[in-house]
Amino acid sequence: MTDVILEKVGKTYPNGYQAIPSVDLSIEEGEFIVLVGPSGCGKSTLLRMVAGLESISTGELRIRGERMNEKEPAERDIAMVFQNYALYPHMSVYDNMAYGLKNRGIAKNLIEEKVSDVAKMLGLTELLQRKPRQLSGGQRQRVAMGRAMVRDPKVFLFDEPLSNLDAKLRVQMRVEIRQLQRKLGTTTLYVTHDQVEAMTLADRLVVLNKGKAEQIGTPMDLYNKPATPFVAAFIGSPSMNLIDATLTEQGVKISEALTLPLSHQHRGDIVWGIRPEHLEVSDEQNGDFALRIQAVESLGAETLIHGKIETESANGESMVVRLSGPHLPDVNSLMWLTAPMSHWHLFDAKTQQRL
Amino acid sequence: MIENRPWLTFASHATLLLGIGLVALPVWMALVASTHPASAFGVGHIPLWFGDAGAETWGTVLFEEAGNGVDTPVWFMMLNSLIMALGITFGKIVISLLSAYAIVFFRFPCRNLCFWIIFMTLMLPVEVRIVPTYEVVANLDLLNSYTGLTLPLIASATATFLFRQCFLSIPGELVEAARIDGAGPWRFFFDILLPLSRTNIAALFVILFIYGWNQYLWPLLITTDDAYYTLVMSIKRMLSVTDGDIAWNQIMATTLLAMLPPVAVVIGMQKLFVKGLVDSEK
Ligand SMILES: Nc1ncnc2c1ncn2[C@@H]1O[C@H](COP(=O)(O)OP(=O)(O)O)[C@@H](O)[C@H]1O
Ligand SMILES: [Mg+2]
Repeated sequence: MTDVILEKVGKTYPNGYQAIPSVDLSIEEGEFIVLVGPSGCGKSTLLRMVAGLESISTGELRIRGERMNEKEPAERDIAMVFQNYALYPHMSVYDNMAYGLKNRGIAKNLIEEKVSDVAKMLGLTELLQRKPRQLSGGQRQRVAMGRAMVRDPKVFLFDEPLSNLDAKLRVQMRVEIRQLQRKLGTTTLYVTHDQVEAMTLADRLVVLNKGKAEQIGTPMDLYNKPATPFVAAFIGSPSMNLIDATLTEQGVKISEALTLPLSHQHRGDIVWGIRPEHLEVSDEQNGDFALRIQAVESLGAETLIHGKIETESANGESMVVRLSGPHLPDVNSLMWLTAPMSHWHLFDAKTQQRL
Repeated sequence: MIENRPWLTFASHATLLLGIGLVALPVWMALVASTHPASAFGVGHIPLWFGDAGAETWGTVLFEEAGNGVDTPVWFMMLNSLIMALGITFGKIVISLLSAYAIVFFRFPCRNLCFWIIFMTLMLPVEVRIVPTYEVVANLDLLNSYTGLTLPLIASATATFLFRQCFLSIPGELVEAARIDGAGPWRFFFDILLPLSRTNIAALFVILFIYGWNQYLWPLLITTDDAYYTLVMSIKRMLSVTDGDIAWNQIMATTLLAMLPPVAVVIGMQKLFVKGLVDSEK
């Protein structure tokens, strides 16, 4: 069953700035949708429109078939977790979680029951009488989630909830959020700028760029078949090598001296891409091109090699190669590589669309 | 900062003691003077140790009449002062809380204009607008009434400004969280805003109570009935007796009594007061 529908939803701020031209999205019940994109691309704006904290300029938002545009946030049956947690500083953990229920006039013993259930689920039972300032960052995060969960809403909204935590806690909370969401089966809309977080959490991802949804799909869809160079560069770490090239009868012409053979009916300027992990080390006879190594980053389990494609002229294109295991090639030496054709990504340079 | 320089400790303590001495000496002299008979002052020297008329003077002043032409007892004037001071304090706090709430959290036409108009009243304290204010109060038939004593002093730009700053420092996310939690304007005000500005309210209470308690010119102007005389203005009236000697012992006792409530408020609310000025819980 479709749970949340955004139909041509757009936002123009009162100062005339159009943050979101138009976004279409339909979310299935229980689905975990992640909105991802660089800072300032309009993720929060979109989320806040769903929450009702920001008015919807154009289009329509429906939750369970009901038009929500004019509804107050409290009437939309949503719950939101904020980046800075937004816990009420003067209330105990218990009161923080119970406040929304109290305002809805729910009976006291029922509130108690719900809060203690959720507290148990999140491991907050011992902390119920504390004030937020007596909690660590991770605990505050949990309370913020607990406050959302006791309401038992139709939709969870998260706005970069993990960005104030340290790296280790972030990974831990990420896993936990995913497990909780599976268990509760609540439709979730989650905003982040971190593509790793996005890939690991999402059932489907929405990649936003300047307020436009560049691509909507499962993490593997986006990884295997990015629709635009923007998505290609955004998803995956280190990001895909993207090189301006021309498609000719001979193939992909990267520079005067280097053409990778390909038969394709398209002609003209393209962007040619290959992920760092798909490049393979080769030798002078079999290699497609050579890389002049500029820097080596050894991470133990993998090695990142930064270099430039060796050409007659001085300025070849930059490339990153990702090899598994430790490697220690000399800086400034040449490394021959093959680029398997099955892993190529071709985009039209003008329309920015996948070929 | 950990420093161990004996002479510095000595110097700072000496300075503090000197300061305390300077402030406390007049109070001490007033206290001593109130225990001597009225005649003890005509002779040209100031006594520095307690006399034996203390109980009598204080008893008369507090419960019978303040003397020197003021024939209401001090406890009664204290009550008047208290009503006026508390009226002004609570009035100011309530009015400015509400106006700051409106200015910070609601979008209405001319919002900024309203703020600046309120702000400009800073330039118009009672002393400046005393004649027109008197006329308004007189026309409203409020002379010799508690309403007349408090109402014209209640509007407060300073407190509005203070609460505005306090409200502005409340993060927007908190306001939004409350909205999602279904808190309407009144719930938000009482459940979130008031508790968060608790320390500011306390600090303001102290300042405004002292301001209200020490009002002199306004009560002097609009009360002509003994029933509404406040303590601070009565002291001045006690000094201006025309015939006979001034009973200094009674005046000193009255003065000391007039000091007590502000001191009590400051001491009682010291912790909250400092907290309100220094830190915030947000
Ligand atoms: N209240 C506002 N008025 C005008 N412009 C805004 C407002 N809020 C956000 N913007 C602009 O809209 C764009 C998207 O903002 P936002 O949705 O917060 O981005 P992010 O993807 O980082 O969450 C930004 O360029 C921002 O400057
Ligand atoms: Mg944001």
